[in-house]
Amino acid sequence: MKVVTGVVGNDIHVVANRLIDLSLQARGYEVFNLGVNTHLEEFFDAAVETGAEVLMISSLNGEAEGWGREVKLLKAKYKNLDDLIMMIGGNLVVGSGNTEDIVARYKKYGFDLVCHQVDLNTGLDLLQDLLEERCKS
Amino acid sequence: MVSDSKEKLLIDVGSTYFKVSTAATIEQHLRDFNKDILDDLRSKCGEIISRFEKDDVHICSSANGGLSTLIIGVTNSFSLKYATNIAFNSGINIIDTILYQDIEVYSLPSDLIDVVIIVGGVDTHAELFSEGLYNYLAQLNYSNLVFAGSAQDAAQIEENLENVVVLPNIVDDRLHIVEEHLKDYLTNLYQQDIEGKEDIKHLYDITANQIFSTPYIVNRALPMIAARFSVANPFILLDIGGATTDIHYSKDLVDDNIVTENEYDRLVFKRLGVYKSKQSLILAAQDNEFVYELLMHLKVTENIFEEQSEKATKILMQLAIFLVLCKISHYKKTYINLKLLAINSIVLTGGITKVLTVEEIEMIIAFFYKKILTSDHNPVTILDSNYDIWTLGAMGNQSCQ
Ligand code: B12
Repeated sequence: MKVVTGVVGNDIHVVANRLIDLSLQARGYEVFNLGVNTHLEEFFDAAVETGAEVLMISSLNGEAEGWGREVKLLKAKYKNLDDLIMMIGGNLVVGSGNTEDIVARYKKYGFDLVCHQVDLNTGLDLLQDLLEERCKS
Repeated sequence: MVSDSKEKLLIDVGSTYFKVSTAATIEQHLRDFNKDILDDLRSKCGEIISRFEKDDVHICSSANGGLSTLIIGVTNSFSLKYATNIAFNSGINIIDTILYQDIEVYSLPSDLIDVVIIVGGVDTHAELFSEGLYNYLAQLNYSNLVFAGSAQDAAQIEENLENVVVLPNIVDDRLHIVEEHLKDYLTNLYQQDIEGKEDIKHLYDITANQIFSTPYIVNRALPMIAARFSVANPFILLDIGGATTDIHYSKDLVDDNIVTENEYDRLVFKRLGVYKSKQSLILAAQDNEFVYELLMHLKVTENIFEEQSEKATKILMQLAIFLVLCKISHYKKTYINLKLLAINSIVLTGGITKVLTVEEIEMIIAFFYKKILTSDHNPVTILDSNYDIWTLGAMGNQSCQ
């Protein structure tokens, strides 16, 4: 299973990104890590080039909130990304906010899994569950 | 620098002129198009040529003005971007880039394309291309076809496309660029194109050395340029010739350059020459909204395009400088946007140095900066009127062989 990951926008928090790379590999995923400072278009483009099934975006400084609104619009321009699993995690707002609201908002943006301030391993377990579910259906 | 102190004869065959240089002299002659290049050379410089042995003669040529390419890739951020950069750095003109998923909506270029490049996918991905590609290519007029995408797709591509050359992927498993294979292929193709011309083949009667493309030779000279000129970095070098215009520039003038091998890149504008491609130069000029103002500034009217005079040639050359600067600025961005406000010197070489004075060139550059970049920036203009750059490149090149 291929995963494209990276930190969206002008966000330079790199520690989680390295951990995500290692943890995914440890779980047997093939990882394409775009690193920090990655534009939304590069994530989608990377999914096209690699044929990845999962896109795992991090945002630590909270700027994903700004990018989120563009996700659906941009993704609609691609012809072969309908089955792509979209996941996002980190600090998904600037400042603090109600987790339920945040999750709902990002789901509306088009994300399948939203992990606001969720520990990485918990997040990866959620991904596993989702993949198994999809496999069954 | 030069390993062998024996005197060399250097010859550059352009689309309009040829130059012949020895340690003591440098001559330039207008070509006689009714003659084969070798006959022409012999009739004009027979005495000089006869003084040299084949081993000591080095020839380069830009007579045919470079190759054109169309690139088909699967994303803008990776395959298309990488291939575009590689093509640029091989001195190839990019006619168009096509994003594969939308291939049906692109119009077909009517010109014959020298080489079509297909790229896309990492090696662990497969089946990126299908009927859409084959249908498009079936309608396209091209001479060479190269595939440098996912290794898994190579077999299918070869099955469906005749005479396709398959190269290692330009995108590696970490989505990074691998430039050397495609770059070598394109550089060789350019080389073969030059050598394949009947006219050029005959030149092997007088040289035992490989005939190179002129832009390649000029590009090689750039790291050594300070030896001959007081050029302040960063600089751009414009080589405005009869059929094409070449721009060489320091890498730090672009933000988005991912190819790392050379310090200097180059761009070729195929139909921006003042002699052989005069008509397309005029068309490009008429397409530019500032040109009429520029003509007024130069105190001439559009009628000058109809004239055949020294004055008309001068104006065309001035226009070529202006149009080239426009093309590499944000105003008429082609593929590359150079940081023109950061340039400290503009070096000019080629036939233009025989026609225009420094003042006539500076006038155009000042006009460009004022009108297009609304700036008083004033880079130093340097004229390579003695073909020092070319000599430097040709000498440097033969010492490495
Ligand atoms: C170190 C750090 C920096 C360093 C970064 C160095 C580097 N190159 O990495 C420096 C000093 C450069 C920095 C700069 C800034 N920072 Co800072 N930084 C931190 C700090 C202290 C630690 C981050 C860290 O590495 N944690 C360790 C890793 C392992 O944890 P993590 O990042 O939280 O990731 C975990 C989870 O979030 C999760 N996770 C992450 N991504 C994903 C994705 C998925 C899908 C899943 C499931 C899970 C997941 O997995 C990880 C492990 O469990 C945090 C505060 C904190 N204690 O968290 C602030 C913090 C992230 N920074 C913050 C801010 C505001 C900034 C600046 C804007 C400050 C400024 N005004 O200049 C700049 C932004 C620069 C930029 N362009 O991005 C804020 C963000 C606030 C927000 N979102 O509302 C924080 C939270 C501090 C705070 N409380 O205000 N920062």
